[in-house]
Amino acid sequence: MGNFDLLMHGFGVAITPMHLLLMVGGVLMGLVVGVLPGLGAPNGVSLLIPLTFALDPTSAIILLSSMYWGALFGGSTTSILFNIPGEPSSVATTFDGYPMARKGESTRALTLAFMSAGVGALTGVIVITLLAGWASNFALKFGAPEYFAVYFLAFAAFIGMGSASPAKTLVSLTTGLLLATVGMDTVTGEIRLTFGLDQLLSGISFLVVVIGLFGIGELLSTVQEGLRFRGVSSRIDLRDVFKTIAELPRYWATTIRSGLIGIWMGITPGGPTAASFMSYGIARQASRKGEPFGTGRPEGIVAPETADHSAGSCAMLPMLALGVPSSATAAVMMGGLMIWGLTPGPMLFATKPDFVWGLIASMYVSNLIGVILVLATVPMFAALLRIPFSIIGPMIVVICFVGAYTVSNSSFDLWLVLLFGLVGYLFTKLDYPLAPLVLAMVLGHKAENAFHQSMILSNGSLDIFFSNTLVTSIMVIALALLVLPKTLQLSSRLRRRQPVE
Amino acid sequence: MTVRRFHAEIGTALVTAGVGLAAVIGASELGFGWEESGPQPGYFPFYVGLVLIGASLWNLMRAFVKHRDAMVQERASGEIEEPFLPRENLGRIGTFLAAMTGFVIATLTLGVYVASAGYIAWSAWRQGGYPLWKSLTIGIVFTVVQYVIFETIFKIPLLKGPIEPLLGIY
Repeated sequence: MGNFDLLMHGFGVAITPMHLLLMVGGVLMGLVVGVLPGLGAPNGVSLLIPLTFALDPTSAIILLSSMYWGALFGGSTTSILFNIPGEPSSVATTFDGYPMARKGESTRALTLAFMSAGVGALTGVIVITLLAGWASNFALKFGAPEYFAVYFLAFAAFIGMGSASPAKTLVSLTTGLLLATVGMDTVTGEIRLTFGLDQLLSGISFLVVVIGLFGIGELLSTVQEGLRFRGVSSRIDLRDVFKTIAELPRYWATTIRSGLIGIWMGITPGGPTAASFMSYGIARQASRKGEPFGTGRPEGIVAPETADHSAGSCAMLPMLALGVPSSATAAVMMGGLMIWGLTPGPMLFATKPDFVWGLIASMYVSNLIGVILVLATVPMFAALLRIPFSIIGPMIVVICFVGAYTVSNSSFDLWLVLLFGLVGYLFTKLDYPLAPLVLAMVLGHKAENAFHQSMILSNGSLDIFFSNTLVTSIMVIALALLVLPKTLQLSSRLRRRQPVE
Repeated sequence: MTVRRFHAEIGTALVTAGVGLAAVIGASELGFGWEESGPQPGYFPFYVGLVLIGASLWNLMRAFVKHRDAMVQERASGEIEEPFLPRENLGRIGTFLAAMTGFVIATLTLGVYVASAGYIAWSAWRQGGYPLWKSLTIGIVFTVVQYVIFETIFKIPLLKGPIEPLLGIY
């Protein structure tokens, strides 16, 4: 069957009354999570995973991915109306979105954001549809050394391409790897790094860590900054919506450029946040005439939103085909997949076509639902933010702790959430990136197993990672991603400095 | 007192280096060498721990270098190094943390329902300045909704304490 037939089959799986209901529910929950500070997409999905054990995996992934799209939309809503990014990836939307809304054009700003987000997501899903079959065939050629090389590539890309200092990314990454080794070792059956604590025997759940890092951590930052909401009117005027939609084709160049940036950053582990910033920066450099960016330029909204959503949906491709998620949320979803008993990777396409294509088809439908729902419910969700923080804050705290408890009914996890909340707060304040830690926790076991197996194959020689063309080229790309970006930055900085000296 | 960014950087780097050291020690007890069947169980954590220590030391050094530059600038322009936590923020975050820790302890002793009703009511009353009866209503309504969602709809039992049995809830 070609990709198109498979996709049609997927639509058959995705479009049932039950799944449509899950999509609406997921998008609505995602909007709540995206709007509220302290609840973002990664930990929203973490909180929901224990509740999906009763569902079959296809319904569960449709619910979780719909929530992710909802959270992305919700994050842009608060960026534009309140100048508060609900999600890290919607920070760039505040630069021009909020000024435009302040000028009294909030409907225009919101419509621009949602429509370009929808276009971006659609671009991403089309890319996934076209590449999915090819990517999984390609991945079937992989053995243990190739898998380790791919994990290494993911880690290297975070270090080389991330905006944070490489040493800080490395700290976050290795901390995640170490946390993943705590407890029973799946290869040798030994108990590792529990330091005599019985509660650590079964390991540290990445869900608990995500809830602490992203949930409590973000709340602490919110408290420390002393949140004051200065919202603008959130009324939606239907006539303005259509006027703005008619205006959209004018920004075709920005849209195409941003879509491509999003696709690239989504497939390589750059993630949506990096994609939206990069796209905004390039759009600003590319503009020649008109008012400056930062004063409510439409391109300043179109660029980050398109890139954000196309990266967000493209991040699902490497997760499904290779088992390498390229964003924190995709990492959490992949952890969920493993909890439901599915192994992400090329075999998933062969053994569970209903699951994979059902998910891909649902991405088309739920993004459409997302755009409509978000336009219809903006005033309602904006009202959520007008609830004083002294009431909504503690409620979010309770939800986070209860969610962490439901992961494995362990009261020790409550202390872990508190501890990782502090870690998340400190790390964010000191510019340590959090996504590599989550990624490393989810991939830790798989990376170690792949390494272990390769070492057994080669009798302990590292040459195995350069033994054939496939693994060598992956390793070379990984090393280049690790070293090149920062070296180029450094050399251009040195060159700029020379004339002064 | 005001916590400077420099202090926070040093503290964090030392703690992450400590985590790396703990991993290296733990892993060397398991053995990090080779045996017949391949690497020993401590092999992977041992080397990851070493990398973590290295990266932490690098961050520590960077913090000192940055601090030195900032001190030079401070003397030249009178501009004080970026404060990490000014005093009033420290107070606000301290209260929030203390209340949250109180909530965790109450959850473990009294059960999550009593703890969350009390915690939410206390915050609305003391921090939000709502009248006591309104605050209690908010706390109780939230708790009832929570009970219905978890125990009735999803059938997930949460931590209960000594008070629920008195109300006939198990």
